[in-house]
Order: sequence, then structure tokens, then C-alpha cells
Amino acid sequence: MKSLSTSQRHYKALFITILVLFALVYLAPLYVMLTTSFKGIEEIRSGNILALPETLNVSAWTKAWSSACTGGDCYGLAPYFWNSIRIVLPAVFISTVIGALNGYVLSQWRFKGSNFLFGALLFGCFIPFQVILLPMAMLLAWLGLANTVPGLVLVHVIYGVAFTTLFFRNYYVGIPTELVRAARLDGAGFFAIFRHVFLPLSTPIIVVSVIWQFTQIWNDFLFGVVYSGPGTQPITVALNNLVNTTMGGKEYNVDMAAAVIAALPTLVVYLVAGKYFVRGLTAGAVKG
Amino acid sequence: MGSIQIQQLTKSFGDTQVLKGIDLDIKDGEFLILVGPSGCGKSTLMNSIAGLEDVSSGDILIDGVNVTDLSPKERDIAMVFQSYALYPTMSVSRNISFGLEMRKVPKAEIEKTVADVSQLLQIEHLLDRKPSALSGGQRQRVAMGRALARNPRVFLFDEPLSNLDAKLRVEMRTEIKKLHKRLGTTIVYVTHDQVEAMTLADRIAVMKDGQVQQFGTPYEIYNNPANRFVADFMGSPPMNFIECVVLDDKLVIESQGEKFELQVAHGEILRHAGLETVILGIRPEMMTEPKPHVMGALVHSLPMQIDVIEPMGPDTIAFGQWNGVEVQARLSPEAGVDAQTKGSISLQVDTSKAVLFDAFSGARLDA
Repeated sequence: MKSLSTSQRHYKALFITILVLFALVYLAPLYVMLTTSFKGIEEIRSGNILALPETLNVSAWTKAWSSACTGGDCYGLAPYFWNSIRIVLPAVFISTVIGALNGYVLSQWRFKGSNFLFGALLFGCFIPFQVILLPMAMLLAWLGLANTVPGLVLVHVIYGVAFTTLFFRNYYVGIPTELVRAARLDGAGFFAIFRHVFLPLSTPIIVVSVIWQFTQIWNDFLFGVVYSGPGTQPITVALNNLVNTTMGGKEYNVDMAAAVIAALPTLVVYLVAGKYFVRGLTAGAVKG
Repeated sequence: MGSIQIQQLTKSFGDTQVLKGIDLDIKDGEFLILVGPSGCGKSTLMNSIAGLEDVSSGDILIDGVNVTDLSPKERDIAMVFQSYALYPTMSVSRNISFGLEMRKVPKAEIEKTVADVSQLLQIEHLLDRKPSALSGGQRQRVAMGRALARNPRVFLFDEPLSNLDAKLRVEMRTEIKKLHKRLGTTIVYVTHDQVEAMTLADRIAVMKDGQVQQFGTPYEIYNNPANRFVADFMGSPPMNFIECVVLDDKLVIESQGEKFELQVAHGEILRHAGLETVILGIRPEMMTEPKPHVMGALVHSLPMQIDVIEPMGPDTIAFGQWNGVEVQARLSPEAGVDAQTKGSISLQVDTSKAVLFDAFSGARLDA
């Protein structure tokens, strides 16, 4: 390793200090959320917002999970948490599978107009949510899927396919066409080549697609609030209702605990698969 | 079995025609080389035989059966790619067995084939490795193993040695030739390396601009080229092309300010052709230091001033100028040293194998 000159060392220290400061600013809200969620309501009113809780009081967490009121019902976030799971899992799975197949076709089985089709699909990434709210509501009503979980899954799949296709297409385009040719001569068909040659290579990009889609769909509020019914609201909508429903004083500790609960799954997904995320996003950028 | 007939094959990409009516008749068990500069259509032709590329018109017959519209799978062809195209996530043994697996060959038979093939190619110790853990030469062997395992009617090789270093390339070249001798399966082999073409082929098809320029044995291609392009492409160092003024049935060569008359094998053609100038094509090995035992009317003695000397080891190439164009002569190493010190040499020029081309079209005049 080359030793750094004094001025270089000063710059490095400066950069690190700035980065640490940014990180602190970024982490401060999370710190406040976590500490507040473990405090009692009296302690919140009287104490410093940055102080650590005196005792670990989990009552706010249990209340947020199972008995806090979201509008008229007082079952906590639990039922809505499961709603979100029921929406997110199929939507992530289906959009990833379709994206993988789309990407496979658009990169390795080019046909006349395939580049145009890819461009058109990409366009889907730039359509703002608000623009399609009304037509999509009409479509869902026409399909009989309004206010249902499958309806929300459908919306998220359609919206997600543009992104997942982009991911997989750009990943697969770096895989030499000769592999497909070799496999075709070996007697493998369209799906056999996908299964035996492409899928085993796809772990990094599958992880990217899953993290991306999971985060997008789990955090979605607009579609969730517009296309859900009373029993099918996702957790983001329930969190909003919980925070806006006040019986007596504002329970900041319950609000904070609820917010952390709502954010936890995306955090877990990222922590578990995060290292693949960066790897997958940069794969293909550098020729190996 | 594996004879291939290619009839009037054309292929266009948009407005560009890359194959312009190819006719080739490849015998069962033949080692055919497609050779030509890049962009001549040789790889397209090979992909068409494999069924990886649709043709625009014409027919491809394998063992007399028209396969033009069949998928690659149904043609029973195996191919070795330039990049090897090994499946990166599969072990060597699965790479070899994949084709058999896809064709639903019984498991016991697959195992036996993998064992046989890996023994033949001496890659038994690599069977559990992934392609990324192999050297270039080993990957090359695995790619061949994958093709061999299928026991197809025809092997296609697409510049299989071009990614290997020079020494390994020569080794593998010999190995491929031995393999062909042993298996006797038809091979179509694409290369742009004329040495590979000469050494491996039973017959060579020299291609240029989507057309077959000449189709013949290496001997025919080398000694009796159909036109100037073929003569130029085959042979290293290349044939000398010297534009000469015609004087009755002889050719005039000017060297160091002096004029010399050269007699050629088919001089009578010159007398009737009525051409002012023709191109004399003569290979460097027919221009040597004097060898007293070679005699005859077609053996001449001409001086040449030495511009550059390139020792190759077994012989030395001397560069000079005749009729204002650069020519190369092939000398013995000793004669080379001698010529370098003197700065010039008296060459013995044997025109018995020289050929004549039209100065404008490059067509053969004396064939």
C-alpha cells in the first residue's frame, strides 16, 4: 500500500468526518423513534426527546401490534401486516418471474420490434402513479377485483414488470448469445435453456428484483389507500389511520412503535440480502 | 454417416447479402475447412449449417435429407464455439452430459459416455470443476468433449483455436487431426488461419464476399489457385505478384536497372492473349539461392538487391524489388547471411510452378 502524504491524510479525515455527520443526521430519526417507542407516555412528556428510556417498556409495542385503534377498529396493526404480506409475496414473486422471462426473451431471443417493445416497457417506469389511478380503478371494477387483495397484487405486478424487465434484460444482455446457441444444439428448448443455463446464473439479479419490488410494494401508500377495501388495507394505510386516530392524548410511543413495525420487513429483507443488491446492480457493468 | 450438400444457399441481413449462392458438396467423413478473411460469410455459412441462422434461399441436405427448415436440435450436429460457450454454472461433467440429458439418454449410458470422452481427451481429473477454474486449453478440451459426447453426424468447429496461445494452438491442431482420423466423423471447420486450413483439411473452401472462390484439396489450392485472391490468401510468406510487360511468349523483369526475360510454363497463352502486361504469381520458395542440381528452360538466374533480411530459423526471407514491387525470396540460412553481407544476391528463379493472372480482374490466365 502506498503511504498517504500529509495533505491527503487531512482530506481523508475531512471526508470521513463529513460522512459520519451525514450518517448521524440520517440515523437520528431512527434513534428517536426507537427510544420513544420504549418510553412511557409520562416520560415522553417530561423528558428530553434524545434521552434514553429509563426502563424498557414494551407496552407501546404490544398496543401498536394488537390493540391500537385504526379508525373504527381497535385490533392494532396485526391484521394489516398480514394483508401486506398477502399482497407483497405474490406480487413480488409474479413480477420477478415475468421480469425474468421478459428479460430473457428481450436479450437472447430478439425478434423484429423487440427493441421497440423494450423501450415501450421502459416507458412504464416513468408513468406517475396518479395518472393511472382512475383508469385502473375502472379496470379493477370491470374485472371484479376492486377492493380485493388480488386486485392490489395485479396493480403492483403490472407496475413492477417494467422495472423487473429492465433489471433482468440488462443482466442477461451480458451473457454471451453463444451459450444459447450451444444449448440449442445440445437439444434444449426455450424453457430448458432458461431453467438450466440462465436461472442458475441469476441469483444476484433475482435478489435485486426481490428487494426492489418488496420495498416498493410494501411501502406503497397511494395504491393501497385507493384500491383497498375495509378488510384489505395494507399496513401503510393502517399506520396512517392509527396515527390519525386519537382517543384522548397523542400516544407518541405507540405511533413510533407502529412506524417501526411497518418499516421492519423492508429493513430485514435488505439486511439479509443487501450484499447481493449492490453486487447485482453493478454486475454486467464491468466485463468479467 | 454425415454427408452435406449445400445448394444455391443465400443469406441476407436487410439489404446486405452475406452469402451469394453457395454450392458445396461435402463427403461423409471429410474434413472441410472454410477459410477466408473476416466478413467473408464463413461463420454465417456455418451457423446456417447448424440451423442457428435462417437462410434466405437455397437448400441444405444432410445425408440426402433436406434439413433447411429443421431446428438445430433435429439436425444432429454438434459445434465447438470460438468462445467455447461452456455452461458457467455446470461442472465439466455436466457440461459434457447436458446434451445427452436433454435428449433423454438413459443415465447409465450418459455416465459411460462421459467416462469414455473424458478419457479420450484426458480431462478425467477435471470432471468436478467449474469452467471458470479451467485454463484456456482445458476449456477447449471440455468444449470438444461436449461435442464428442453427442456422437453427432457432423461436427462444426468455429475458429476453435483462435483463443489459445501459439504453442497450444499447434498442439491442439494435431490433436484435432488425430481425433478426426480416429472418429471418421464429418467435420466442417471455420478458420481465418491459412496454416490451420492447409494442415487440417481434406478439402478447403476459400471464401470471399459471400462466395466460394475455390473448393479443392490443400494441394490444388496452393499450387493451382483459381484466382489472385486465393493465391494471395493461402501461403506464408505470401506469393509474389509481379506485373510484367509481355514480350512475345516471355515476361520482362527489371532488376537493378537491367532487363531480364523470363520464360513461363504456358508461354503460348501470352502470345495469343494480346495483353500488354500480366501479373506473374510466383511463390517465394521458387526464388532461392542457386541450386546447381535444378536445371531446365524454366530455371533462370536473376539478381536482386537486398532491402531486408528476415531469418525464420529453417530458412530466411529476403526482401527486394523487381519491376517496382516488393518481392520475397526464400533462402537457406547460410545464403541469407551471405546475401546480407553482399547486399545483393543472384537468385535462381524457377517458373515451372508460376501462375499468370489478368492484371485487372485477377483471374487465372493459364489454368
